[in-house]
Amino acid sequence: MSLAIHYDSSFDGFLTAVFEIYRQHLDVSCFVAERSYETEGDAATDLFAQPFHIETSEQSAERLKRAIEKMASLDVLKLLETCFRSETAGIEMNILAYLRKLFAGLDPNYGRNPTSLEMISLITIARSVRREMDAMLGMVRFNKAPDGMYIAEIEPKYDVLEMIVGHFRGRYPNGSWAIVDVKRGLGVYYENRRTHFVTVPDPSSIAAHAPPDQFTQMWKSYYDTMAIKERINPRLLRRCLPVRYWKHLPERSLGTVSTPQLPSSVAKENAFASLRLK
Amino acid sequence: MDIRDKLNILGDAAKYDVSCSSSGSKRQSPKGGMGCGYSSGICHTWSADGRCISLLKVLFSNACKYDCAYCVNRRSNDIPRATFTPKELINLTLEFYRRNYIEGLFLSSAVIGSPDYTMELLIKVAKELRLVHHFGGYIHLKAIPGASSRLLFEAGLYADRSSVNIEIPSDKQLQYLAPEKNYASIYRPMNFLAERKLEYKADKSKYSPKFLPAGQSTQMIVGASGETDLQILTLSAGFYKQQQMKRVYFSGYVPVNADKRLPVITTKPPLLREHRLYQADWLMRFYKFEYNEILDEKNPFLDPDLDPKVMWALRHPEFFPIDLQTADYEMILRVPGIGVKSAQLIVSGRRYSKIRLQHLKKMGVVLKRAKYFIYDSDVPPELRKLYPEMIRPLLVAKPKSDQLDLFDNMPLALPATISQPVSQPTMFQPALTSSS
Ligand code: SF4
Repeated sequence: MSLAIHYDSSFDGFLTAVFEIYRQHLDVSCFVAERSYETEGDAATDLFAQPFHIETSEQSAERLKRAIEKMASLDVLKLLETCFRSETAGIEMNILAYLRKLFAGLDPNYGRNPTSLEMISLITIARSVRREMDAMLGMVRFNKAPDGMYIAEIEPKYDVLEMIVGHFRGRYPNGSWAIVDVKRGLGVYYENRRTHFVTVPDPSSIAAHAPPDQFTQMWKSYYDTMAIKERINPRLLRRCLPVRYWKHLPERSLGTVSTPQLPSSVAKENAFASLRLK
Repeated sequence: MDIRDKLNILGDAAKYDVSCSSSGSKRQSPKGGMGCGYSSGICHTWSADGRCISLLKVLFSNACKYDCAYCVNRRSNDIPRATFTPKELINLTLEFYRRNYIEGLFLSSAVIGSPDYTMELLIKVAKELRLVHHFGGYIHLKAIPGASSRLLFEAGLYADRSSVNIEIPSDKQLQYLAPEKNYASIYRPMNFLAERKLEYKADKSKYSPKFLPAGQSTQMIVGASGETDLQILTLSAGFYKQQQMKRVYFSGYVPVNADKRLPVITTKPPLLREHRLYQADWLMRFYKFEYNEILDEKNPFLDPDLDPKVMWALRHPEFFPIDLQTADYEMILRVPGIGVKSAQLIVSGRRYSKIRLQHLKKMGVVLKRAKYFIYDSDVPPELRKLYPEMIRPLLVAKPKSDQLDLFDNMPLALPATISQPVSQPTMFQPALTSSS
């Protein structure tokens, strides 16, 4: 009877599960991460498999991590974690398939070969996760709350919150700020040089604490003026800045504020007027 | 005038400058302050024309005393004028930065009073940001043409990057279109800054503050003065080598003034041409192409129908097809459809296992293009031949719609900040000793 492995959705939880799969010789058909939100991965669940719950154990996870480091490298371990954050359908099975080959030991170079078929797929997934993480560094938008804290809401496709925190710590080391992943109900807040990870049961109430202010408005109108009319290209815009991110970007989601007479339009009007005179 | 109107006017006046890159700075957040660099740069958003916005790009003032034909701010235009105070601009930069709207400030200005006076104002802003507010974010300062060396030098102490725009790709044309400028007045500050930067680099012994850690960039307007692509690429190649430019930007000419010296005001910006030039520039920066491999006197223009890499490959059938198991990294890079990341992956992976089509597919190699330029060892030698005439029609992109969809295969060709291929995960680096 094949099993649907239920675990707590953490990377350690997953590694514990793999550890147990080896120890107890379990026959796995899929993994079910117990999350409070929906992911693409949910669709991959095998309805006929028998549920089997595995309790996360830091020790077991740690042992497996050491084994991966030994057979492959620390970088591979990190890459696997990055892939895991993608939460894409079947990602656990993909990683498991890789680990099976790695631990089978048939090919002594397997852990170093970046072009094994299993590894190429994982590299591409990790690339997408890193790409979103990189993009997210630019797309976090803080609003200032009355108590002086800067608060941002994000809704990334992948679970990248933890990956971006270090960047903001380096950027605003003396500030106090919070970033909330509203889809996952997770948050981080930073105050007095300390970082705290928290769960946020009601993320929708966060925005009310820090409404847009005059700087948000100025940013929006600055943003509007930056586009060169002759070059407007909606498709290119969507490709660079996918629509799913717009909701949390004031420059795309706030209403347009009327702009005063701008030099470029005045110059153009003048130019056309002088053309007509000729 | 309130600050909001000023921001709109002076942002609008700055938007034709293409550069918005925030790359090249590794600055750490200063003690007691905020802000740091991010060496590959960060795009914060994209404007409706698909250009990356990374910095708060504004002019200090648009009340210019010069009269360059191609510029909105020229003195003969009857337009609204505005000038910031340093305090306003500093405050705006800090507030935007705290909200993570921007990586920092890109400050330029029209010439007000004298070049030196203008330059002093720009420096004042940068200096106060750094010394009073302990700001570690990105600062790009324009070198005002005609400003004295002393001021240029001072600017380099606070700025991460500096730029002087050459704008017009020939000296004669430049003097014709911009009577107050000439090449000497543009090369002088470029060379001065490049030399100072070299000195700072060479002299490691003395305690030296950072001097333009992110180097210089410049911009050329394309399509305003009858120049060829070869002229443009020759100039850019020179900038990369002689002035150690970090970037050369191209700006498809958008007519803003009716002027008998310029293309008529209804001219559409030459977006496709600009795109091909960026592709060629990309080849020079990341694919180890020389400018004169891409174009020569006989072929002074890029092919509008083909990306320059394909164009080059079709002109050189003698090099193709190649065997991915044995070819040099440099040669693999030249295969159309194979990018830097895939080439690196191939080179580091082939030591362990043979690279087959299914591997290439998974890596994201564009087989549709690459397949004509590579062969498998099973293919008999007499069949390993490339026939450019037959392949060319297969590789010409068919337009999908009337909107130019230029960015199919090169999503980062625009002057975006994250414009360098991100390196592979470190585990695969050792194999690449010969390639970086
Ligand atoms: S000096 Fe600069 S701002 Fe003034 S007209 Fe010439 S290009 Fe425009």
